[in-house]
Formats: sequence, C-alpha cells, structure tokens
Amino acid sequence: MASISTKVGNFSLDNPVILASGILDETSGSILRSIRSGAGAVVTKSIGMKERKGYPTPVISEISTGLLNAVGLSNPGIDNFIEEFKNFPEKKRTIVSIFGGSVEDFVTLARKVEGAGFDKIELNLSCPHVQGVGSEVGQDADLVESIITEIKERTNLHIWAKLTPNVTDIISLAKASEKADAYVLINTLRATGVEIYSRKFVLANIVGGYSGPGIKPVALRAVYDVYKETGKDIVGVGGITNWQDAIEFFLVGARAIQIGTALLYEDYPIYKKINNGITQYLDSEGFSGLDEIVGVMVNDGTLQGH
Amino acid sequence: MMVHSRVTELVRENKDVFTMKFDSSITAKPGQFLMIWVPGGKEIPMSLSNTSSPPSITFRTFGETTKTLSRLKIGDRVFYRGPYGNSYPEPSGKVAYVGGGTGVASLNAMILKYRGDVFVGARTRDDLFLIRDGYKIATDDGSLGFKGTVIDLFLPHLSEYDYVFVCGPEPMVKSFIDRVDRRTHSKVFFSLERLMKCGVGICDSCSINGYRVCKDGTIFSMDDVLKMTEFGVYKRSESGKMEFFTNGKR
Repeated sequence: MASISTKVGNFSLDNPVILASGILDETSGSILRSIRSGAGAVVTKSIGMKERKGYPTPVISEISTGLLNAVGLSNPGIDNFIEEFKNFPEKKRTIVSIFGGSVEDFVTLARKVEGAGFDKIELNLSCPHVQGVGSEVGQDADLVESIITEIKERTNLHIWAKLTPNVTDIISLAKASEKADAYVLINTLRATGVEIYSRKFVLANIVGGYSGPGIKPVALRAVYDVYKETGKDIVGVGGITNWQDAIEFFLVGARAIQIGTALLYEDYPIYKKINNGITQYLDSEGFSGLDEIVGVMVNDGTLQGH
Repeated sequence: MMVHSRVTELVRENKDVFTMKFDSSITAKPGQFLMIWVPGGKEIPMSLSNTSSPPSITFRTFGETTKTLSRLKIGDRVFYRGPYGNSYPEPSGKVAYVGGGTGVASLNAMILKYRGDVFVGARTRDDLFLIRDGYKIATDDGSLGFKGTVIDLFLPHLSEYDYVFVCGPEPMVKSFIDRVDRRTHSKVFFSLERLMKCGVGICDSCSINGYRVCKDGTIFSMDDVLKMTEFGVYKRSESGKMEFFTNGKR
C-alpha cells in the first residue's frame, strides 16, 4: 500500500489532510475530535492578543457553490487560549493560528504560543473581513517580511504563512514570506451576499469570506503559480471536498492540504474518506508514496521533493 | 439556505412568551430547531414548538431580535433556515417530559405527538406557558403547584417511566444529571442549550467536549451527557472563552 505520509518543512505528518483554521477548532474538545477522526494535523482558530466576540449573527450563509462567512475572528485571546490548552495532549499535531496588527503583536503571540509548549504556528495574514489585521496586514509585503523575520529570530517555531488571494500579485507576497517554513494557500475570497425579499445583506458584517467548492480553481491556480515560481513547500487549501480535489493540489505542488468548508458537507468522516481515496489513487496509478506526485505537473518530475 | 414564510398566527402565551405559526411546508421532527433571522438584525436558534403543519415557534422576548419577532403582524414575512439538529427518539411505554424555562417549547412538539406525563418548572406562576390540564407544576416561589424545582418534583418518580425527555437551562439539566440514579432502567434524553452562531456544526461555538449541540444534538442520551466533563461546569462566551457556572465544579 502506498504511503501517504508527508513532510512540510521539517514537520512530518502521518497523512496530508489538515483541518483549516476557523472551522471546528475553537475548543480543545473539537480539535481532539478531528485528530481522533483521522486529521493529520489541525490548525486552531486564529488567536489574537485580546478576547474578541466576533461579529453579530448572521455569521454564515450557505450558497450553492460554498459558504460565505464573517465570524469576525472571535477568539478568547492568547492568555485564555493558553489556559484552556495547558494540558492539551496533542500539541505536536496542532498548529496555532495567530493574527495581529503589528510586528510586536505577532512576536508577542508567537512567544506565548512557544512558551505554552506548541512548536508550530500559522500566521493569519489573510482574514478578509476584519479591519487592521489579517489581509490588511498581509497585503503589505514589507510588514509581512518583518513579521516573519522577527518571529524566526526570536523563537524556534516552525512557521506557516497563510496568504491572501485578495491581491493582484500573490507571488511577490510569497517572496516577502520566504523565510517561513511553508506557505498556506489560500484564505477565503472577499465576498458578499444579498437576500432579495428582505433586500438586506446576508451577513451582519456585509462583507465576508467566500470558501468552498467554488473557490477551488482560484486556490489551485495560486498553488500552481507560487510553486512554479518559488519551489517552496506549500499547504493547499480552498474548496477541497474530496480526494480527487486533494490529488489536483498535490500534482501542482502542495505537500499537504487543508479542509474547512467540506466538513459542512461530509462532517468528521471526511478525513478518512480523503485519505483512503489518496491511498487508492496512488496504488492504482502505480506510485509508492505521496511525495512522488507532489508538483509533477509543474516540474515534470525533475524536481522531486525532499 | 434562507427561506421565508408568512406569519399566520401570533399568540401571547404570558407576559413575555409568544407562539408564532407560519405557513411553511418544512418537514421537521420534534426536537429540531430553526435559525430565525430578522433581516438587518440577528439570527437566533429557536426550537419548533409544533412540527406538524403549520409549524410554530415559541419564544421568550429578551432582546431586540425576539422583540421584533413578537411585533410581527399576520401576513408578515418570517425568515429562517433549517430545520437543523437531531430529534427526540420515538418513545415506547410510559413517557415523562421534564421542562424548565423555554425548554417547554421544544418538549411541546413531542407532547403533541406522544402522550406522557408532563412536569414543568418555572420561577413563578406568571412565567409558565403552554400549560395544559394535568401538567405537574413546580414553581420556585410556590405560587402554583409544588414549591421547589421541577427536578425535585420529578426525580422521585423517575423509575415509573420507560422514556424521559428533559429540556431546560444547563444548570437545571446539570442538577438532574448530578442527582439521577445512573443505573436507572429509564431511557433519559436531554435537549441541551448553548450559544449557537452557525447552527450547522462548523463554527464550534456550541461544542461541549467535542459534541456540537447544534449538529450532534440538540438531543443527547444520558450516556453522552455523562461523558461531557465540561457540561454544567463552564459554557462558552461569544469569543469562545470558558465561562464557569457559579456552582460549576468538576
């Protein structure tokens, strides 16, 4: 049977299916449930310096091609987060997502996360619907570069940079983030929705992020572009709902994938379903391991991984 | 997906509780809930108090959203998505319902379908609603029926029933759980209440030890609730922060 273990930077995963930040990963109990249901790793909901309630409801709206959300970075704040995760048994398979408005915020958060016994972070440089953080920070290439440089210098954390697709040039953003151990591509697309009988916006915040099957081609293009240009390790995310979607991302350069909105359709069994599908594909296509297919459509098989 | 129906009836049950019927053709089972939306305002989960046609919701006014709903007129549009959540299992044998607070609304949908003895608790007689002849009443101040909690009133009778359905605020359910004989032959099910945002099992606001009240529940067996070490100890605020109940202890 083909191996589906993978490596992102120096982080080895038993399988490449990771829970994306923002879905079912606010509470320690739900994170454990994902890991026990077969997730290779889990990214937490983004944690900031202070407690944030998030936006009023409605915070989600289902559409035919996916989901709109404006949850608004609700989170208990880093100190309460650390308190809850004090004795958490799966710190090595948990990547803590952090967001901030400045280099200082990010460094403080990163050091606290490291002090709490975690060794991996994902930088939320891409939330599309909260002022002053997320993609507002993440669109500023210089700021992104300093954030990553500072965290690298002042911690030993493994860093993933989650980039926003809401820019004209994602490659220069990726290059500004090149000190990160890996890129996570992509966050949601800035979007809105309208209810025609009430003539009101469907999200309380009006603008939110669009995720789900409809954004998969955009995410795939971003992974392809960035992998072709940088050759760096990439975690693909955006609209992945089944194993076939996952394979597409591997072929254009992703070493692992994240799923979020798909949990709405498939719920917890999705981890095993995607992993089984990947294994069967590798077996039936005559590959012995996942690393044999990563990026083959970009580098013609000449640039094979680690 | 958000849909809408027209209000066909709006009845005031007591000083601040209302029942709204609407001309919807949704198929729902007792125990399920809708996410009711006030356009331009909030979206909140509400149990169906009647799942036959036309369906109804019964709610207490406590904020702008519920107040707006209580002021709708016949023919006005009511917006919602759902139904969501699981449903009460079909009972057999002798059935008891134990309700406190607005928990009575969710149980009502079941009571309309399956006969049983109903035990209802409220702070005072003025807080009661959806009461029918023969209900066993408990009030905190003794203004009607038994003086004390509905748990005090019901628990001595537990063994008389094959199926028991409990719905009410978390501290009430917790006191049931803490005092119930865990070896009881009765099959006991609880409908739980937590702060919900998405209603469809993805935002993690209502999770208790990884159980989502909105999707894995709202109905849980006693075995499940006994596994929830967080239950009755702390809930979550809108930020996801743990908020300990005043009497919460592990």
